[in-house]
Amino acid sequence: MAFVLPPRSAHAVGQQQQFNPYAENGGTILAIAGANFSVIAGDTRQSEGYNVQTRYAPKVFRLTDKAVLATNGFSADGNMFVKKVRQRLEWYRHAHAKDMSLPAIARLIQSMLYQRRFFPYYVYNILGGIEDDGSGTVYSFDPVGSYERETCRAAGAASSLVQPFLDNQIYFKNQSSAPGSPHPTHLPLSRVLPLVIDSFTSATERHIEVGDGLEIYVVLAKGSPLQGLETVHGITELTSGPNGERMFVIRRNLKRD
Amino acid sequence: METSFGITGKGYVIIAADTTSARSIIKMKTDEDKIKTLSPHLLMAYSGEPGDTVQFAEFVERNIRLYQIRNLYALRPAAAAAWIRRALANSLRSRKPYGVNLLVGGYDTASTDPHLYWIDYFGAMTEVPFAAHGYGAYFALSLLDRYHDPEASLEEGLAVLRRCIDEVAKRLVIDPGKYKVKVVDKDGVREVEL
Amino acid sequence: MSIMDYNGGSVVAMVGKDCVAIASDLRLGNQALGVSSNFQKIFPITDRIYLGLPGLATDVTTLKERFRFRVNMYTIKEEREIEPETFAHLVSSTLYEHRFGPYFCEPVMAGISKTPSGGIKPFIAATDLIGCLNFAKDFVVAGTASEKLFGVAEGLWEPDLEPEDLFETISQTIMNAVDRDAYSGWGCIVHVITKDKITTRTLKGRMD
Repeated sequence: MAFVLPPRSAHAVGQQQQFNPYAENGGTILAIAGANFSVIAGDTRQSEGYNVQTRYAPKVFRLTDKAVLATNGFSADGNMFVKKVRQRLEWYRHAHAKDMSLPAIARLIQSMLYQRRFFPYYVYNILGGIEDDGSGTVYSFDPVGSYERETCRAAGAASSLVQPFLDNQIYFKNQSSAPGSPHPTHLPLSRVLPLVIDSFTSATERHIEVGDGLEIYVVLAKGSPLQGLETVHGITELTSGPNGERMFVIRRNLKRD
Repeated sequence: METSFGITGKGYVIIAADTTSARSIIKMKTDEDKIKTLSPHLLMAYSGEPGDTVQFAEFVERNIRLYQIRNLYALRPAAAAAWIRRALANSLRSRKPYGVNLLVGGYDTASTDPHLYWIDYFGAMTEVPFAAHGYGAYFALSLLDRYHDPEASLEEGLAVLRRCIDEVAKRLVIDPGKYKVKVVDKDGVREVEL
Repeated sequence: MSIMDYNGGSVVAMVGKDCVAIASDLRLGNQALGVSSNFQKIFPITDRIYLGLPGLATDVTTLKERFRFRVNMYTIKEEREIEPETFAHLVSSTLYEHRFGPYFCEPVMAGISKTPSGGIKPFIAATDLIGCLNFAKDFVVAGTASEKLFGVAEGLWEPDLEPEDLFETISQTIMNAVDRDAYSGWGCIVHVITKDKITTRTLKGRMD
């Protein structure tokens, strides 16, 4: 109960309980960029300590037709931050009659985070989507706005479990390639989706704050094929207009223990 | 700002330690020998808590000597280092632990090779090709990573030591001053001038 | 800063088909300063049992010596080699003797045990620093990179791996885990134990 102020007691002389404006709500997020797609995923458990507050609290949010933001850390800050980013994106649409590009959203998020440098949003953000050149992209942020474009990133409670696995499976770290055939810089969606699901089932198995549900957002670049997405079970299409980027969400169950 | 170095080379170990004895901000002495000759082929540089250092070093010295008198032969470097380590490890869980860091360097006359052991006051021990204690370690270890050669002659070894000492003198806020340098090889222990 | 992280280091053990593997890094550090890239934390106990001891380096060496003594006493008194299960309990009780002033090590062991019917059974176990035993069926981890090891091992390990595949799995697990840990790394060593052979390989790793 982070937000209950302690009762003021006349006997409590000399020591005072400090109000703590932050909480840590567990969960894990991850994003992987492909050549012409981007996958952004997060579990849906929200907890505080050993207490599960809810089994379904989304922390992956669609921002525009081609941008998805995953937040992790203090969920109240996360939700507020997404609300404010969406507001800024709407203002941009009103001013310029188009959606903001991914690098611009990334820089916007940096400014918004750094503005609160001395009372930060206690949130790790990962932004995924499609760049203007049609390539899949992932930007990862720390709570005060340091950011970087990457191919893959895990954040949150189980990031230390997932990130080294991704280093191995996405970046092929500690694996030598066959002579003359270097490791691919981007994996196909058919390889990425099982890796995302395996990452979360593994994290669920070994981390108490991860589990309940899994939401995987997939953004496909303009005109790119479905790459087997049509056969994935539990998939819903979220695409808004006809000839633009296509967006899907895959909802799966994770272990609830 | 005590500093000590150990470097192995082809058939020898160099042990070097600064000669400053300081209390707080005062230099009390500038010709302190902080390297003990434990046996004909064994050297030990000691540093750390003032008082503990000499007390522990003399305790070790006498026990190693006692072993030699009783058995008519000296402990080999690995065995001596293991015994010294155990003495520190036991001390760690006693009422008043010794705060002493050590470099034990020896020439094994049976297998005819040099050995250098890095030991801290916890009793953590590891055999290394080169080692350092104190603030000097932060400067010297990277130099030694670059310039150490296990096949180097004594002259080359001393040249690398010179580099380390010069770097510490240049970059450490307080120059540790003069060093005492001792070498152990097949001919036993001797002091050398840099 | 925990005393368990003072010197750094990590160990993992895995079960395969009629084989087990145990691996560790080779770093010894003084907090952030690397001191040695050849500090062994895995020790042979018998021809069939290996013991990994990540934790405070002084206790790694002390415990190694203590277990050698106790296993030798067992062998002399019983006139036979100790079984892995028995050894695990020896480790546990040795650590619990120091319940209120513990050795700061979390032992991991791997071995091949004999079944009453004359067959063999792969065996792994780990304990915490006061000797609480964990007999896992798949893999056990310990050390400063334990969280990372859990994550990678959970993703890569599968049941009934042949010795060569188990070697690859445990090697990839430890290498990728220690590369994300500042206190572990500087090379790795892997032992694969089968019924009639032990294969030991030293892996070259990142030196940062």
